Amino acid sequence: MITDTAEVPAESPSRARRMYRNQLEIDFSVWWRRGAAVSLVMVTIFGAALIFRGLNLGIEFEGGAVWEVPADDVSAGDVRDGLAGLGLADASIQTGGGIVQVRAEVEVTDTEAAAAVAVALADVVGADPEDVSFSDVSASWGEEVTEKAVRALIVFLIVIAAYISMRLEWRMAVGGLVALAHDILVTVGVYALFQFEVTSATVIAFMTILGYSLYDTMVVFDRVRENESRPSLAGRVAYQDIMSLSLNQVFMRSLNTTVTSVLPVLMVLLVGSFGFGAVTLREFGIALLVGLLAGTYSSMFVAGPIVVMLKNREPEYAALIESAGTSGQAELATLAAGGATPRRQRGGTGPSAPKRPPSTVIPPRPRKQKRRN
Amino acid sequence: MRRNGLLSLIGILAVVSAAFIASLATGQRPLLGIDLTGGVEVVLEPVLTDERPDGPTEPELDQTVEILRNRVDALDVAQPDITRQGSLVVVQLPDVDDQQRAIEIVGTTAELQFRPVCSVLPVALDVDDAIDQGLIDPDALESDDGTDEEGLGFAGEGEYAAPAIPLQEDEPTPEPGADETPEPDAEAPVVDDETPGAVFSDAFVPPSACDADSLELVAEETTASEDIRRDEPVLLDQRDENGLVVQRYYLGPVPSAEIEGEDVFLVGTAVESADAFTNGLEWTVSLVMEPGDGGIGLFNDIAAECFASSAVCPSGQLAIVLDGTVESAPNINAPAFDRSNISISGAFSQSRAEDTALVLQYGSLPIELEQQRIRTVSASLGSDSLRAGIISGIIGLLLVAVYMTAYYRILGVAALLSLFVSGAMLWVLVSFFSETGFFFGGVTLTIAGVVGLIVSLGVSLDSNVIYFEHLKEDIANGRTLRSAVDRSFPVAYRTIFWADMAALIGAVVLYLLTISSVREFAFMLGLASVLDLVATYFFLRPLVKLISRTDIAVERPGLLGLPASVRRARA
Repeated sequence: MITDTAEVPAESPSRARRMYRNQLEIDFSVWWRRGAAVSLVMVTIFGAALIFRGLNLGIEFEGGAVWEVPADDVSAGDVRDGLAGLGLADASIQTGGGIVQVRAEVEVTDTEAAAAVAVALADVVGADPEDVSFSDVSASWGEEVTEKAVRALIVFLIVIAAYISMRLEWRMAVGGLVALAHDILVTVGVYALFQFEVTSATVIAFMTILGYSLYDTMVVFDRVRENESRPSLAGRVAYQDIMSLSLNQVFMRSLNTTVTSVLPVLMVLLVGSFGFGAVTLREFGIALLVGLLAGTYSSMFVAGPIVVMLKNREPEYAALIESAGTSGQAELATLAAGGATPRRQRGGTGPSAPKRPPSTVIPPRPRKQKRRN
Repeated sequence: MRRNGLLSLIGILAVVSAAFIASLATGQRPLLGIDLTGGVEVVLEPVLTDERPDGPTEPELDQTVEILRNRVDALDVAQPDITRQGSLVVVQLPDVDDQQRAIEIVGTTAELQFRPVCSVLPVALDVDDAIDQGLIDPDALESDDGTDEEGLGFAGEGEYAAPAIPLQEDEPTPEPGADETPEPDAEAPVVDDETPGAVFSDAFVPPSACDADSLELVAEETTASEDIRRDEPVLLDQRDENGLVVQRYYLGPVPSAEIEGEDVFLVGTAVESADAFTNGLEWTVSLVMEPGDGGIGLFNDIAAECFASSAVCPSGQLAIVLDGTVESAPNINAPAFDRSNISISGAFSQSRAEDTALVLQYGSLPIELEQQRIRTVSASLGSDSLRAGIISGIIGLLLVAVYMTAYYRILGVAALLSLFVSGAMLWVLVSFFSETGFFFGGVTLTIAGVVGLIVSLGVSLDSNVIYFEHLKEDIANGRTLRSAVDRSFPVAYRTIFWADMAALIGAVVLYLLTISSVREFAFMLGLASVLDLVATYFFLRPLVKLISRTDIAVERPGLLGLPASVRRARA
């Protein structure tokens, strides 16, 4: 096992066992190409949805008033009839999911008028007026909320970029932030595509995704950093191999963490959707679910390859691509197999082992070639 | 090392369980937001006007919050929560009965009024009682001539001093020179020890506007803030810093005059500015009125009445009323004032003088609050949301528990225990912050917060996952269980630490820069990140070490979810 070369043991019957033991040997550079295609398609679809369909913004952002009352078996027409004469002719009425929602585009400044609507609505669905929930948001508030969120986002990105640059390196900061942007675009894109309503809950969920995506990327990069500085690998193995190795090593961790994070979120979504009419939970749930999955994916398939790309521009690593990083392959295979690099083997990996390829070997041309692969 | 670990384990268990029990025993609970309890939430924002292009200052905003607090107290809500977030004021009223009224009360702009004092009533003593006790002469109540002017007379606190003598001695009764009219005796009991100037007389002097009919109308109980009319007499409270009623004033209508066809009242807009200053011994408030008939003119009209202790202002006192609460009721000690040279003195402490100046200043430019966002949540929706949150949290936790135990066996159980430890810490801290209002005015647990916690469940377990995976790797690399446990932790913890720091930085940025629910969420996420680090270091680390030292762990590593075949490094 120790001497296996880095081939994907796709047909190996013991794959599950190897996964369990962190002995995966997935060649991620192959998957990155597929991932790039997937990402491109997703970004295109969701980007287009965002541009052409736009977001279905809730009153938090647009201003307006919403009445909600729990009710089953009430048609929108009934509700509209019941509210006739209350100046809500333009209001949009949604029924279903155990909730009737009446939304007016304009703010209701008169509390008595708002109360009258609540009474009428309660009357239609046969509920107590006290069961009607009412929200009213001024248009300027929506602008302010949006502005604040955008400002927070920008500061957040700057601070985080600085943090990763200091803690790790700027290339990783770039990779992390691109992954972050990818996750947000995908999640927001889902909302645009399916026209789910964006509420303040959704914004919070987006923010969570920022945090999660970043956290996940940090964990992966930390491992890359560790491998990078291994004496047996440093300067001897091409960067994509180091990245691939690291991703293999953290694969089970990522999988497990995703499972433990997604399970509760899935429950939030299910309970929010099918029971209790807890609309807010449902609003959180969709964004969180999509975002969590995107976060795990992007750490491996967006952040990783971007860092590899940037790193390969460096003379030191470009040289290794040329020499195909042969000198460190044995160690790489050993590490990938989850095996030790036993002490007695250390000195004996071959005569070429201790030699670091001099950085003068780098011809600039092949760099480009490699990147296009 | 080993003893260290055991100490840490016992230490954190002792501390956390003690804190948890103490928290439960003292009945501290997380304060639930209105989206979980039902109720009203109103977000108010000061309106920027030409006069206030930069918005209100910090003390003015604090004053605003104070005013709102007083109003909300009148609603009798169990746990009203009024917080400032930047220049925004967020009012949360869980379980409020009349939501519509609550919204209206919160939405009106506070007004500063000057009202002549008809009489001062002892606390919790209404007019009938006062008459019964001979404090008020019922005949006097009816004896009046009924002009439509206002005023009454009594002793209060402090004085409006005329020019040249900015600092008055602390005389409770009107200055000499007030000869005619029923002069209130200063021999009556001192009602308010804290304000030495406050004295009231047992001689009730019936005024015109303070006549018996209107007195009957208002004297039953303190006038509710929404019932206060400028042109009607009112019965209002004066409160000390703790919000306790120290005195009740029966006040005449706000002095008014018809100027250019409009009724102009002596309210805050007549005040130009006010400031507190000291001569080194005593604190005094200087008051500058606006020029013209609507400003100093009106003030001097009523001052003359009060100085003479006429029927309009028999007490000689002119009360300063802000939003239905009597702030102060100084005596008038001169018949006329120069508009820029009025001082209010009366053995003020620095803070009292500053408060009074602030009230006057606030009154001159009242902060108009705009209701940016109103949300009412029905109690049933609130409890449904809470239940849904709890149920999904519990089911999610169970599923995660099953997964962790299946995958990591005994280590999985250790991870869950660690989760409970950080959960207990979280409960204690959130309850503590809720109850004490520590942390920028308290923490409320909203749906956003609950979801933040549910999400952090998974992230918290990630620390354990990272550690365990490292452990497996090291063992696969040929280490013994013991050495792997010792070696893996620092490496894994470093990863956890830096990743948690990234999450924490995000949470802090969000907390500082956003408002309302995003903030609450950020708080929970940030707190959970920190607690995760604590629980992992002080609980999980020693626990795993202990487990690894047991015989069973060495003999059957499979039970720990670790590779069965441990190759010896030396082999």
